Amino acid sequence: MKKTLLKTESLSKSFSSGGTLQHVLKNIDLELYEGDFTVIMGASGAGKSTLLYALSGMDTPTLGRITFGDQVISDLTPDELAVFRRRHCGFVFQQIYLIDGMSVMDNVLAAGLLADRNKKALAERAAKLFEAVDIPPQTRRKFPSQISGGEAQRAGIVRGLINSPEILYADEPTGALNSQTGLDVLNVLSDFNRRGQSVVMVTHDMRSARRGNRILYLKDGVILGECDLGKYVHGDAERHEKLSAFLAEMGW
Amino acid sequence: MKNSRHFWRKWGGSMNREILLVRSNLRRARGQSISIAVLILLSAAMLNLWLMLSLDYKQNFDRCHDRLHAGHVTLAVDGDSKEVRPALTRIVEDMRAVDFSMEDSLCMVGSFAYNGGEVNTEMVFLEKEAALTRSVGRAEIIEEGDESSGVYLPMLYKTGDIDIGKTIELKIGSNTMEYTVCGFFNSVMAGSHNCILCELLLTQDQYQELEEKGYALRSTLLSVRIADKSESEDFEAALKSKVTAEFPGARVSSNSYAMVTTSRYISQMICSGIVSAMAFFILLIALVIIASNIVNYIQENMRNLGALKAVGYTSGQLVGSLMLQFLGISLVVAVLGTGISYLLFPYLNTMMISQTGIPYEVRFLPIPCLWTLMILGAAVAVAVWLSSRRIRKIDPILALRQGIQTHNFLKNHVPLEKTGMPLHLALALKNTLSGVRQNVTVCVTMLVLSLVVVFSGLMIENMIVDINPFLYMVVGEMADSCVNVNEGIEEEFLREMEADADVEKVYLFHLMNVGHSGGVELMASLCDDFTKVNNQSICIEGRFPRYDNEVAIAAKYAREKGLKIGDEITLTVGEQKADYLITGFTQLTNNLGKDCLLTREGYEILGDLQNLSFYLNLREGVDLEAFHEKTKERFGGNIHTTIDIQSTISGTASVYVTLLTIIVCAILLLGVVVIAFVLYLLVRTMLNRKKREYGILKALGFTTGQLILQTALSFMPAMILSTVLGLAGSSLIINPLMALFLSGIGIVKCTFLVPGGFIAAAGAGLVLLAFGIACLLSLRIRKIQPCALLAGE
Repeated sequence: MKKTLLKTESLSKSFSSGGTLQHVLKNIDLELYEGDFTVIMGASGAGKSTLLYALSGMDTPTLGRITFGDQVISDLTPDELAVFRRRHCGFVFQQIYLIDGMSVMDNVLAAGLLADRNKKALAERAAKLFEAVDIPPQTRRKFPSQISGGEAQRAGIVRGLINSPEILYADEPTGALNSQTGLDVLNVLSDFNRRGQSVVMVTHDMRSARRGNRILYLKDGVILGECDLGKYVHGDAERHEKLSAFLAEMGW
Repeated sequence: MKNSRHFWRKWGGSMNREILLVRSNLRRARGQSISIAVLILLSAAMLNLWLMLSLDYKQNFDRCHDRLHAGHVTLAVDGDSKEVRPALTRIVEDMRAVDFSMEDSLCMVGSFAYNGGEVNTEMVFLEKEAALTRSVGRAEIIEEGDESSGVYLPMLYKTGDIDIGKTIELKIGSNTMEYTVCGFFNSVMAGSHNCILCELLLTQDQYQELEEKGYALRSTLLSVRIADKSESEDFEAALKSKVTAEFPGARVSSNSYAMVTTSRYISQMICSGIVSAMAFFILLIALVIIASNIVNYIQENMRNLGALKAVGYTSGQLVGSLMLQFLGISLVVAVLGTGISYLLFPYLNTMMISQTGIPYEVRFLPIPCLWTLMILGAAVAVAVWLSSRRIRKIDPILALRQGIQTHNFLKNHVPLEKTGMPLHLALALKNTLSGVRQNVTVCVTMLVLSLVVVFSGLMIENMIVDINPFLYMVVGEMADSCVNVNEGIEEEFLREMEADADVEKVYLFHLMNVGHSGGVELMASLCDDFTKVNNQSICIEGRFPRYDNEVAIAAKYAREKGLKIGDEITLTVGEQKADYLITGFTQLTNNLGKDCLLTREGYEILGDLQNLSFYLNLREGVDLEAFHEKTKERFGGNIHTTIDIQSTISGTASVYVTLLTIIVCAILLLGVVVIAFVLYLLVRTMLNRKKREYGILKALGFTTGQLILQTALSFMPAMILSTVLGLAGSSLIINPLMALFLSGIGIVKCTFLVPGGFIAAAGAGLVLLAFGIACLLSLRIRKIQPCALLAGE
């Protein structure tokens, strides 16, 4: 029996656009489990990112309830949500979003120090994570504009993990990278997931989605279907067929 | 028009294309444009005010002078007109005066209550009709009521307490007369307490009554016009010398065009100096902000500018669009600013009329307007041109490939792994150290505002809270009372005063005029022992004269004449001459820096003293009025006048105190407005530039409050440093600066107390205010949503 980390009940999100109300998410009931690599798939405009914002506390739902453990996060104020994010969530963005004016190391430490962590312990953890993603010490002292996109995204993953979040949210983490670099990033995410890190990733790329053990397919703001792929193993052709069949069934 | 269009095209411009770019730029930075516009507006309003004050306000004196056909030298000499007139006519004709007029008058030192104090001056009573019909130096009635018998006063004295129909008590010598105020008039050369001579017009019956009573001496008032008004001081000195030689022993009082025009426009000089300084300071801040905005714009729009160049825009067109944008805003706003200056001018005028005493009609002045537009236009054009030159160096391909590089990547300021600082402070400091332009703008603003704070502190401490430091500097010697006695009772008077329990100190301090051979007439302060004077700081360099062949002269005059301590000068009274050794330099403004100090014995080489003025310090709690009455009773007619010095000074000083209080309040308010707008611009620019960064930080878990604190803190290092340096530097330079500012009235060295406590508190207040404003302006961070960062679907 998996432990539920986060649960949504009748989660809905609407936006007002040009005088009309657009219902982007409609009555979503969902549970995220500890240790899972959950992938949210869907076509453009399906509501994937909106769902990710709501789950991670970056945005508040229009209707419904989101519970993280015992905490109802859908009722929190923006500042309480900020505290929630820094304590329980990590983020990896498509555009990476390292801060230009800070070195790679400072980008990571700024997030870590925010959570009132011991600086020495934090530096040790940062060093371990950098080693794990293969970023050497000299690169850590560089500025984001001085490193490659792959290095930047791996540094982004370190930043996302520095506070040992319960869930690492990744929004199209390979979207801005070339195929080989994207593969490296996916390997890093899979590697951390294997070590117990829960990951929620939004993607519309099948190759990326294959890394997840649980695939949710979103269409027009509704979770249309769910597929259990099991734990990722490199070169597992069966997973690919199973995912293809699931997506075909969903009308992909 | 055709030529200008041709030039524009030749330079690479096409109005339509530039206007498109300007519109796009304005849409992107509406708030910044408005803030720059406000600063330019303030600057234009003050610049135009300054130009109107400098180019026209003082010229109003000349217009009034011409209209009333006023004299360039005015002189009143005691004596029956039948004896005096022929001699004066001969002297004036010998001196080749252009025109002159002589009138019978009654003269005496007198006083009356004014502005909570007292005016004490040489009163020249004229019969009203005669004064209005003089061929040279006529008076004009400004306001009058139905009263047929009474006095007409210079319009300067029109206050709530002195008004038409009210009764005024004039102390004439040691007598008192009551008159009904019939009206107010304007006399250019003798219409204020700043003119040495103060005309008062009496209706025929009152003139005859005063003449019969003999309270004032029969005199002759002479007004002379000369060909070259710039020689008025020399003419006055020569005329006075000849008149004194002709009538030895007669009391002669005079003034000159140069002296009157300067003394009546001290408030204009003060206002004009302060307004011009503020105008240029604000313009400087606006220019720094414009330059900073343009550099930011170029950095942030490097790709766009590269793209525009790639599609065929020339550098000239891109620079031209910025020029059009900022010049357009500046000129439109400058026109509005000049309009605002016309709304402010009447208030300033009302304040200044209480000192100049000459009515001024506010009207549209095209030349100051044109100058304002030209100065602002040229300054903005230079700032835009200098800061936008970088556009010429943009290579379209490189710009498109590299985009912006807003940070200095050579150094990681404050590495978080090494610093011991709290996180938010460290992040704020990173922001500070990476924002050079932001720091420059903050520093320039705070340096300017520090000077404003120090100036205000100085004024509050030395003029508003306790005016004595200012008075000691400009008035020179002060005591409680001045009693003018007949020379014959000197010994008895001194013996009695020294024995009087009410009197703490008594000493001779008498004013006379002496001529400087080869120079002008100097007002000489005579004392039998200068160690007795209360204000030992009159002598700012060297020492007071001790012996009869020594003199201390005004530092300003000495500079003008190239005189040094140790030099010998020849002084004259009438035909008498004597040489004196300069022992020191003084600083007095009584005669606008044309003064000297002589020992009594020193003066008596040149002439005799008919009467003597003694200064008295009274013991604490003594009623001055009762003391004067007691003294008059004791010495009867041997007492010519008694003066309440403090009251006399406070009457005049209150005009300046009021004026300066308003000015200090205005510039402090202006300072707050300027700092608010500068910070608005900086915070707005920072938020625009770092919107993405704030989004990232919010996504990572930074709260709005933490980011607001970081933003506001990032301004603090530059702000605190520049404020501390600015306050320290301004405190050091403020006295020399004030001396420069007041040099027109004879000040060469200021020793005002710089109020350290006030300045430190005001500096801290300024920084806290800036911090508060920065926090308030940073509230926009609330609107930045972290979810806006995530890739759209």
